Amino acid sequence: MEVRNSKRWAARGLNRWFIAAAALCGAAVIRTALHPLLGEIMPATAFLIGAVLVEYYCGLAPACCVMLAGLCLADYLFVPPYGRIDVIDASDIRLMVSYPLITLVVITLVERLRRAQYRAELLAAVAQSRYEMLLRHDNERLLARRATEEMHRMLHHIAQYKRSLVLIKALDPATSVSPGSFMAAEATASPASVIDNAAFRASIAFGAKHSQVHQEDLARVCDRLSPGHHRMRLLSGGRDDWRPVECICDRFTTPSGEFLVLRTED
Amino acid sequence: MNSPSISSAKGGDHAVLLLHGLSSSPLELRFLARFLVDEGFATHTPVLPGYSAGTDHQPMEQWIRAAVAEFDGLAARYRHVSVCGLSMGATLAAAVASERPAARALLLLSITLDYDGWAIPWYRFLLDYVYYTPMRSRYRYREHEPYGLRNEALRSKIARSMQKNQVSEVGPASIAMPALHEAGRLASRVRKTLKGIGTDCLIIHAIDDETASPHNARFVASAVGASFLRTIWLDDSYHMITSDNEREVVARECALFLCESAASTVTTDHPTPVVSRALARRLRQLASVAGKS
Repeated sequence: MEVRNSKRWAARGLNRWFIAAAALCGAAVIRTALHPLLGEIMPATAFLIGAVLVEYYCGLAPACCVMLAGLCLADYLFVPPYGRIDVIDASDIRLMVSYPLITLVVITLVERLRRAQYRAELLAAVAQSRYEMLLRHDNERLLARRATEEMHRMLHHIAQYKRSLVLIKALDPATSVSPGSFMAAEATASPASVIDNAAFRASIAFGAKHSQVHQEDLARVCDRLSPGHHRMRLLSGGRDDWRPVECICDRFTTPSGEFLVLRTED
Repeated sequence: MNSPSISSAKGGDHAVLLLHGLSSSPLELRFLARFLVDEGFATHTPVLPGYSAGTDHQPMEQWIRAAVAEFDGLAARYRHVSVCGLSMGATLAAAVASERPAARALLLLSITLDYDGWAIPWYRFLLDYVYYTPMRSRYRYREHEPYGLRNEALRSKIARSMQKNQVSEVGPASIAMPALHEAGRLASRVRKTLKGIGTDCLIIHAIDDETASPHNARFVASAVGASFLRTIWLDDSYHMITSDNEREVVARECALFLCESAASTVTTDHPTPVVSRALARRLRQLASVAGKS
């Protein structure tokens, strides 16, 4: 895949030109220091190394400038006759052919590698972004699946214990579906059941057993209900014949809200 | 052509201020605005004097002032207000976030601090100097192919639209020299203030952005002071990521980030739980990398 910005791998700005100028000066100073030792041998090697380093760190344009300026400096300072540019002989020709040729080949190779490296970095960044997006969507999918399973569990629970249900309470009525809708759904599944319109709109829906529960206990659980076991008084046989019965309250967190389902223990 | 501001108040308690690109119109953020409204956010895409197409020249300080005034207007009505910008609008959004640290989230789409993408001519830097010549009132920088679009069908449609009108749905046909100069000043100012921006930040940038190279997004990611920072790279779009091939991805990730940012506030009781083990591993990995650096 082509990435056209890969040729813009080097950072922009003036800094790279300052670095290039410093590299050029450094190369000139080093070659001057070595001049008593080297004489007219390898007059442009320091500039070649400088240009390649500038290419690696600062990009093509500064490297080419360093190469051209280095060529002029090398010819002027380190090719005999020293300090003169008007005399062109075989050593000048050798320098002008060999130095730009070698430098350009190396610079071109480094440039190609740097572009390929930058392109690979950008594509890796895209791949990483996509992987993270995939993980986030996977998380959303798992959350949705968990919520759906919880809803199925609650509906199954209501259907299983429909004869022993006391009530279903929405924990946050403002954001939840009315609990009456679950009772209505259950009622439509059994022909004998009746849908209570008033309960359908309230935050509490009463089940089949609620009429047998003592009014005080019913008022208590309507007001304060928490998951776990509760002991309630249920009508048994004749009038005012109350017996304590263990009830269980389960909590369900569904996409339609959080609900507490209270039923008598079988 | 002067498009009116576009507002939608369908959302709940979270509003998003959408800032379009330089000398452009709210049209270029239409798709994103619609998506955010569908996701339950209120959006407002204002026309800013001096900045938007069809308005008179104003210094960039006036652009910031106008954008901050729009932000304050939303902040008076909504619990959370986030700022989102495209191109130079992203730079302006960063300036707004710098002025208003109460912003919930900052969404920077194709942020442009430097015009250094592959389609920008090499002599672009000379235009900075043209401003100081008599040419500044005559010269206009003309948009040309690919108009920030990788999608060729949309590009040809936009090319026809650009020939007829001054502004298309992906930006203006040309930009005046003073506006470019002010944009440069705005970018310089934002570069200096990025460190002080602590707002949750989402950066979305195309690797082949022809106007602003990835260096822009990398610079912002390394310099911004936000503790919740996410960078998303796209590979099938150019500069106009809200209209190009990956506009759905951009809109979805923006909405998701806004939700996560709002959920991360201490006042919210139900932050999005992490149930995916792979995501949990990845988050731990990122946290350990951030801890070491």
